Amino acid sequence: MAFLLRRAQAALFTIACVMLMLFMLVRSVPGDMASIMLGPRATPELRARIVAEMGLDQNIFVQLWLFLTRVVRGDFGEDIISRRPIIDIVAEVLPNTLILAGTALFLSLVFGILLGLIAAKSRGSWADSLLGLLSVAFVSTPSLVVSIVLLLLFSRALHWFPVAGVGDSGDMLDQLAHLVLPATALALGWIGYIARLVRAALLETLTEHHIRTLRAYGVPEWRIAGIYALRLALVPLVSILGIGLGDLIGSAVFAELIFARPGIGSLIFNSIAVRNYPVVQAAVLIIILIYILANLAVDLINSRLDPRIARAMREGRQA
Amino acid sequence: MSVAVNNLSVDYRGHGPDLHAVRDVSFTIPPGRMLGLVGESGSGKSTVAFALMGLLQANARITSGDMQIGGRNYDLTKNATAPLRGRGLAMIFQDPLLSLNPVFTIGAHLTEILRVVAPREDAGRRRAMAEEALAKVKLTDPRRRLDQYPHELSGGMRQRVVIAMALLAKPVLLIADEPTTALDVTVEASVMREICALRDELNCSVLLITHSLGLVTKYCDDMAVLYAGEMLEQGPARAIQLRPGHPYSRLLLDCEVAIDQPRHEPAMANSFKVIGGELPDLRAPVSGCVFAARCDRAVADCAVTVPSAVRLDAEGRHSARCLRIGVS
Repeated sequence: MAFLLRRAQAALFTIACVMLMLFMLVRSVPGDMASIMLGPRATPELRARIVAEMGLDQNIFVQLWLFLTRVVRGDFGEDIISRRPIIDIVAEVLPNTLILAGTALFLSLVFGILLGLIAAKSRGSWADSLLGLLSVAFVSTPSLVVSIVLLLLFSRALHWFPVAGVGDSGDMLDQLAHLVLPATALALGWIGYIARLVRAALLETLTEHHIRTLRAYGVPEWRIAGIYALRLALVPLVSILGIGLGDLIGSAVFAELIFARPGIGSLIFNSIAVRNYPVVQAAVLIIILIYILANLAVDLINSRLDPRIARAMREGRQA
Repeated sequence: MSVAVNNLSVDYRGHGPDLHAVRDVSFTIPPGRMLGLVGESGSGKSTVAFALMGLLQANARITSGDMQIGGRNYDLTKNATAPLRGRGLAMIFQDPLLSLNPVFTIGAHLTEILRVVAPREDAGRRRAMAEEALAKVKLTDPRRRLDQYPHELSGGMRQRVVIAMALLAKPVLLIADEPTTALDVTVEASVMREICALRDELNCSVLLITHSLGLVTKYCDDMAVLYAGEMLEQGPARAIQLRPGHPYSRLLLDCEVAIDQPRHEPAMANSFKVIGGELPDLRAPVSGCVFAARCDRAVADCAVTVPSAVRLDAEGRHSARCLRIGVS
C-alpha cells in the first residue's frame, strides 16, 4: 500500500509537470492565440470576444491558475467552433481509440508470445530463422505503410473488410469487421518486437538451474517452457508494455486517419489542422494520463509476476 | 535390485580434438546403499551424474555405456534413461539457491513433481502429499512453507525442499551432486542426515558426488575414486580409508586435515599436504596410468602399461588399478 501511495505521488507530480508544459507549449506559438485560431479574416469584435472568453487578456499566471484549477475539475472549457464542452468532444471519440489500441495490444501479446515460444523451442531450425526474418520485417515496417497495404489488399482488392469508419453503433459484428485491419496494422510491429523479446528471454531462462531441476524430475518440456520459463520471461515483457501502449496510441493517429476512424488521433490531427489548440491540449493530456496509468499498472502486474519485485518495492528499493 | 553402470564414456566437443572427459567407468550400487564418487575438480564426476540423467550439455556425447536399473537395461548412448527422470531417477543439485524457480512457490514445485509421479491424484490430495513430504524432511511449519517463495527460505531449507522433491519421486537411484558444497558446514550434517533418511525409507541406491573425503567416509557405504575421467579405485569406504590401494587415494586421504591435529601458533606453520602437478590434458590420448605423472611411486613402466584392476580383498569388492600394488 505504501508503495502504491509513493507511485501515485510520482504520477501526480508527472501530471502536474505535463500540464505546465502543455500550457506553455500552446502559448509559445508565435503570434497571439486568438488571431491564430480565428485566421486573418476575423472581425475585431469576434477577436475581442474570444480573447475575453479564453481569458487571454489576463496575466499569464492568472491564466495558468485558471487552466490548472479547471482541468483538475475535468473542465477544459468550451470549444469555440462547435460550442460544446471540450471534454465531451474528447470523451466521445476516446472509446474508439481505446478499443483500437487495446485490441492491437491483445493481438501483439497473443501472437508475439506464441511466435516467441515457437522460435525459442525450435532454436536454430528453419522455423526459427523464418520467424526471425518475419519479426524483423514486422518491426521495421512502419504501421503507416502496413495500414495502406492492408487497406489496398483486403478492402479494395479482396473486399473482405470495410474501408473506413468504426461501424454501426450497436452492431458488434460490424464494429469488429471495422476493427480488424487497423488493429492488425498497429499490432504487427509489436508482434515482431514481442516475439524477439520473448524468444531471447526464454532462451536465457531455459539455461537456468531451476529449469534443469524440473527436467531432472521428468516435467514435460512444454510445461517447462510454457509455464515455468515463460513466467520469468514475461517480467521484461510487461515492463515494456507501458511504453508499448503509449506507442500504440501514438501510432493510432495514422491508423485512424487512413481508416477514417473517429478517435483521439484523428481528433488531434484535425484540431491541429484548424489550429484548435484547446482541444489539442485536452486530447494530449488525456493520452498522457492513460500512459501514466498504464505504467502504474505495469508495476503492479510485475509485482504479481515476480514476488522478489514486490518485496523490493515494499522495502523501498529500486526494483 | 542393484543399479549398475557399465563402461560409461563421455566426450566433449569443442575447438580442436574431442575432450575425453569420462573413460570406461563402471560401478554398482546395491539398494539401500550410498556410493561416494570422489575426485578433484575436472575429474568428470559431475559428467557421470548428468550422463546417467540424460541431462548433459549439447556439446557432450556419450560414446559408450549402459545402465541397469529396476531389472532393465538402458543404453546410455541413446539417451534411453530420459523417460526415467522422475520415474526411477531423481537428483539433488549443488546450489540450492539456484535450483528452485524464484517466481513459483515451494508448493508449486512439489505439486508439479506430483503431476509426474502421481498423475491420478487430485489437486487437494497432491497438496497434502507435498505438505507431508516437507514434514518428513523436517522443515518447520510445512503448511506455511507451501505458499512461500524460494527467496524466503535459507539455503539449507531450500535443499530440504529439493530433498522433499526427491522423496515424492520415490527414485530407485538418487543422484546427489555436491549437495552440501554451497551450504554452511553446520547445515551440511543435517542435509546429509536427510539424504540418508531418504535412502533408508525408500531403500534406494544413492550416488553421492563430492570432492569431500570426509563426507564419504562419514556417510557412504562404498567409495569410488575418479581421476581425470578414469576410475582408479573402488570398494567399501572404510576399507579404502584404512588401506588405500591406489597411491592417488592415499595422497587424497593425506590431504584431509585431521580435526584432532595440533595447531601451530603462527598460521603459516600449519602446513597442508598437496598433490603436486596438474590434471593431464584429456584431449590427447592417454598412455599407461593416467596418474603416473603426479604419482610418488611411479616407475618407468607406469607411463607405458595400462594397469588393470587388482583385487584387494577376498570378496572382490575392493579393487584398484595400479601396477605397483604388492610391490614394495
